[in-house]
Amino acid sequence: MVTKEKLKDYAAKLMFDMDDEGYDRTLEEFETVEKHMALIGEIEGIEDVEPMTFPYVIYHATLREDEAKDCLTNEEVTLNSKEVKADQIKVPKVVG
Amino acid sequence: MKTIMDLRNDLDTSKITSEELFNESNKKAHKYQEEYNSFVTIVDEYKKEDSNSLISGIPYALKDNFSTKGILSTSSSNILKDYVPVYDATVYRKLKEAGAVLVGKTVLDELAMGGTGTTGHTGIVRNPWDKERQIGGSSAGSASSVALGIVPFSIGSDTGDSIRKPASFGGVVGFKPTYGRISRYGLFAFASSLDHVGCFTRCVKDAAIVTDILKGKDERDMTSLPDENIKYTDVLENDIKGKKLFYIKEITDLEMYKDAGSETLEVLTKFKETIENCKELGFIVEEVSIDEKLLKAIYPAYMTISCAEATSNNSNLTGIIFGPRGEGNNINDIMFDARTKGFSELIKRRFILGSYILQKENQERLFKNAQRLRRIIVDKINELFKSYDGMILPASGGIAPKFEDSIDRMSDRYLILENHMAIANFGGFPSITIPNGFVNNMPIGINITGSPFKDAETLNIAYKIEEKLGYKGLIKEEYDV
Repeated sequence: MVTKEKLKDYAAKLMFDMDDEGYDRTLEEFETVEKHMALIGEIEGIEDVEPMTFPYVIYHATLREDEAKDCLTNEEVTLNSKEVKADQIKVPKVVG
Repeated sequence: MKTIMDLRNDLDTSKITSEELFNESNKKAHKYQEEYNSFVTIVDEYKKEDSNSLISGIPYALKDNFSTKGILSTSSSNILKDYVPVYDATVYRKLKEAGAVLVGKTVLDELAMGGTGTTGHTGIVRNPWDKERQIGGSSAGSASSVALGIVPFSIGSDTGDSIRKPASFGGVVGFKPTYGRISRYGLFAFASSLDHVGCFTRCVKDAAIVTDILKGKDERDMTSLPDENIKYTDVLENDIKGKKLFYIKEITDLEMYKDAGSETLEVLTKFKETIENCKELGFIVEEVSIDEKLLKAIYPAYMTISCAEATSNNSNLTGIIFGPRGEGNNINDIMFDARTKGFSELIKRRFILGSYILQKENQERLFKNAQRLRRIIVDKINELFKSYDGMILPASGGIAPKFEDSIDRMSDRYLILENHMAIANFGGFPSITIPNGFVNNMPIGINITGSPFKDAETLNIAYKIEEKLGYKGLIKEEYDV
């Protein structure tokens, strides 16, 4: 049974929050979601099928040579970060 | 409205210059922007590389979820509202090298996760045929920029039907080739196992021209397909007599949708008329039956797989390396705040669904079952492709909805008729929507899907049907419905 508390936990695991009304609307939406999911479960013998993770089997995959290719400059890497110090992206101290 | 080949001819005979073409497109883009909102960014500077390709000098638009070095790329989300990439998507690089001229980056449903064109951070996209209606999504601005006559072609992405549905609502052609035919490098991923790159054009031949330029192996996308020694534009005129098409009874049966309203019945009646046209052309068209239960489970399986994949694909949106920086005393709080402020509620609801599906206790029952359903459907369609050259179906169960319209999400129309095109994403099938006339003065489309890797044959079939139907280059201003 999905509850508002569980929804909050699912959101927190993906590192975001919503206002209370947002969770209410999500909970309401889950009534339909559960009905939709049940439609998959109704397919006879579905548990015996191998899950499909990709549209088709790739036969041509090859490994690249382990060679350095063109890569971004330090300036390019830090260009979009809001806080940069000494050519590095600045964040609060992680280790005490 | 002129096609790529018309414009090529105008350029080659010096009737117009590429810069004049660009200026015309740029002027139209600005003129229509307030009313229709096709663009996140309109490019005002004419920039063109030397090339002898068919699209050299031709203006185009690019969905804003493709990385363009030095040009804002927002994916229509606040979390990327100021992001200026430092590298080019392969698609953008190829178009630049082919001499195409970028007119603008187009609005999409936020992070490409939607089908209405109403959830982008810069506002809703309106349908050129009726401003009170949606154009559909997620490639909303790419569809409307072609439907408005701003550009002769545009680029989109398609995870469930995000090119082929808006093409239908906008009266234009929308094509996504086989999964991997066009590199996804530099496309902001939504659901990697379902994401395709494709194009909007005014006619099938233009779709072949654009795909000829974009296709090919890319060492930066390990799922991209090896080059084919074939030009799609060369096969369009091939004889189709005796080729076999099928349609699915449970998707097209008038009896099933008796209560769905007169527009749905008209769409299905027009579809059946088109089937007769196909037979006149020399196609053999047959009806096949697929268990309704399977068809009803397509949309739930699509939502399950796409939302689950999206949660991990979008975990890089933290506001640390790019995007608005959140507030907080430690790195976790900063990321938490950035994501809370950066995503709209709709996106959060999809992420919560993805998180729910991926919980250990739900994985087997939900995620794995959706992947199993995917295999059942794909195996069934591939089995049919052993006897048939293509599948033909209506692209939608109605005309473009009004913004205030709602639909019963448990109805057959919603679950089957409105969402069956995800089949082509499940199996990576080449799939194209072409205009199929009008219902209540609004364009409708038919969708043709081919066997994996048979992009050339799919385009050939669509080209011949388009020729017979005669709906080509539809622009409201120029077309008396």
